Amino acid sequence: MTDAGDSREAEAQAEAGDSREAEAKAETELPPGAGSPEGDEIPIVEPEPDPEPEPLPEEAAKLLAQLEKELKDSIIESGHTFGDLVVRVAPEAWRKAAEVARDKLECDYLSFVSGIDWMPAPKVGGDDAGGDTSSPVQPTEITFGIAGSDGRFQVFARVQSTARHHGFTLKVDVDEDTFSVPSWVPVYPGADWHERETWEMFGIGFDGHPGMRHLYLPFEFEGHPLRKDYPLLSREIKPWPGLVDVEPMPGEEASEEGGGE
Amino acid sequence: MTVDFRSGLPDNAGAMLQKHLADARINVELETEGMVLNIGPQHPATHGTLRVVVKLDGERVVSADPVIGYMHRGYEKLTEFRTYPQITTLINRIDWLSSFANEVPFIHAAERLMGVQAPPRAEYIRTILTELSRISTFLLFLGEMGLQVGAITPAFYGFRDREHVLNLIEAATGGRFHPNFNRIGGLKVDLPSGWIDDCRRVMKKVFDSVDEFEELVVGNEIFEVRTRGVGVIPPGVGAAYGVSGSNIRASGVDWDLRRDGQPYLVYRDLDWKVWTHPDGDSFARYWVRMQETRESARMVVQLLDGLPAGPVMAKVPRIIKVPEGEVWVNTENPLGEMGYYLFSKGATGPFRCKIRSASFSNVSILPWLLKGVYVPDIITILASLYFILGDIDR
Amino acid sequence: MGLVEKGKVPKPLTWLLNYSRKYSLWMFQWGLACCAIEMGAALASPRYDMMRLGVIPFPASPRQADLLVVSGTVTDKMAPAVKRLYDQMPDPKYVISMGSCANCGGPYWDSYSVTKGIDQILPVDVYVPGCPPRPEALIEGIVLLQQRIQNEDLAERWRGEPIVVGG
Repeated sequence: MTDAGDSREAEAQAEAGDSREAEAKAETELPPGAGSPEGDEIPIVEPEPDPEPEPLPEEAAKLLAQLEKELKDSIIESGHTFGDLVVRVAPEAWRKAAEVARDKLECDYLSFVSGIDWMPAPKVGGDDAGGDTSSPVQPTEITFGIAGSDGRFQVFARVQSTARHHGFTLKVDVDEDTFSVPSWVPVYPGADWHERETWEMFGIGFDGHPGMRHLYLPFEFEGHPLRKDYPLLSREIKPWPGLVDVEPMPGEEASEEGGGE
Repeated sequence: MTVDFRSGLPDNAGAMLQKHLADARINVELETEGMVLNIGPQHPATHGTLRVVVKLDGERVVSADPVIGYMHRGYEKLTEFRTYPQITTLINRIDWLSSFANEVPFIHAAERLMGVQAPPRAEYIRTILTELSRISTFLLFLGEMGLQVGAITPAFYGFRDREHVLNLIEAATGGRFHPNFNRIGGLKVDLPSGWIDDCRRVMKKVFDSVDEFEELVVGNEIFEVRTRGVGVIPPGVGAAYGVSGSNIRASGVDWDLRRDGQPYLVYRDLDWKVWTHPDGDSFARYWVRMQETRESARMVVQLLDGLPAGPVMAKVPRIIKVPEGEVWVNTENPLGEMGYYLFSKGATGPFRCKIRSASFSNVSILPWLLKGVYVPDIITILASLYFILGDIDR
Repeated sequence: MGLVEKGKVPKPLTWLLNYSRKYSLWMFQWGLACCAIEMGAALASPRYDMMRLGVIPFPASPRQADLLVVSGTVTDKMAPAVKRLYDQMPDPKYVISMGSCANCGGPYWDSYSVTKGIDQILPVDVYVPGCPPRPEALIEGIVLLQQRIQNEDLAERWRGEPIVVGG
């Protein structure tokens, strides 16, 4: 790469570093949407501001530079996961980001649109019960993933290019008041079903969606299953009946060689 | 009421005629309203529980609305309550015809987050088993599409030839499908002795049976007439809907994740070809899958020749805890692009696992695709898109 | 048949009736998920041919079927359809629950949308365990059912509630 590439990369670095620091400052308060049974007792782990933000790999940096040229301030934060670019945009720019991806970055292929609920799941079986010992125990602090988050719910999507063979992930925070994001259906018609599924599973609305209705679940189903506070009743009533103690407790056989499940 | 004109009209003839004419007028008005035809959710063939509600105008479809969810088992919620080895047993039931291929992207995602690399022999065997599952599911497709179009014999040939490949998979993994053979870090056990020779023999049989299908089905004029020009997916529309795999390659898009996506397994070391077809109709989809079956068999022979010796399992801790992070891994499954977006918080199970399944997007194009086709062509299109309900509904 | 209800059918005739019924089961295969493939392999594959036992698939309608084989996961969305189809079958009808999903919910026992076993809705005669059960296991299930039919007391079955072919 010539000088042009280097300067673009440096620009991307500076941008990423700045936004991450700003993000860290903003995360000192409890995000308003992070309700949980324990109330506001969930500690938020502040990510330490990186002294030297890790540079993006070359391809991701190129994509990011192009995105920034088009979207300018709407990009809140960006990062990468194993070379894959992850960009968080502002809610108002969600549809514009899709248009930029489709038109300028040649990402004609929509992989998926989905949601995520960052609240840690309440302990199965409640606090006083023994709890379901077979379920994995997740940490009780809220931490957000790459490119951070402003609230409890996020919508993330992945677009790819069939011709250029690149792709990236877009994330957006769900607005706390309206609890909806703009719909991608005018840009990618395939987002229709993905958004129906996201609404069904999380309750996130999509403005501009032609006809939001149930996709997977029967029409009389109540609740949004993929939210973390939606319990699986079978596990609440009785822990997994097949719990056989083949795995020793951690610490007992720490020197055991790997191999097997 | 019969009117005998020879004997003169009865007294109430006028009133009755008026009534009939009035009825006829209503019938004429009702005729253009269209009929709602409900296909499914139970098919005699192995499509599964898909329900398509089509509004017809005579014989043409005005609008189609697939109703899915009859096989929705809540995978994404279930993965949040299970440990990684438990999830491996669960996810190979998403696409239940090519089960081994479902496990591979998830295992790769977990391995990538953990920083574990499976030994080369394990990667080779994983590739062989993935290609074998691709062959087995495509053989079923080749037979079953003939069945949907009206030829019953290819279905039996498909099941029969598939048995040979399933025997191989069973000899190696212990299960005809749903092998649960992948472990984070490698495979459960090594291949049994004599398996490689058996595999070479079966690959020869696969070539013969694909030739048989080519002669029997593709060479049949009725099949050509029923499938050429039916259900054309333009490449731009297909990509916008997320159609992937052989479906989009049959529309001329030269895109195969084994070659173009993130490097996974050992496809980069092999000498193979991506097949595309410019037409984009049902015939093209059948033809592309047929060629891909042959290509997979060639790949398996190359892999068997180059199989390295060594262990099949890397050193991993007894209790798998995947460090915090998120990762996206997508692979070319027989049905299309399958991907897992794995969010981990350092526990023994994932925080959230978004499963991107191929058939979900492939079927989402149906409302657009079925407009204006004739009723028998609906079945042809459904058969050529080749979805598995578990893959749609998860 | 009045004789059957009153229990007045002589034993050789009962034996003959049961024998002919057990070898002429018309199976309504309710293939939902992965088990459907194994059921298809059991029926359509020349290796595990099930038709040699007299069990033939694909009745023209549920009104002509004797045996319902539920294979695969039954979800809450699908369950009313299964019940409706079961009600349409005429007596004497038998149900085989194939696979662990149909037996008890299987690997999805804690899912929010899965019916935990088809026996919550229908009376099941034979449970075939496995995930998926091999075609031979399904054939064993059918053989067990045939043994059961052979030893069935027709009067027991027909006494009591009237035959309802409707719904």
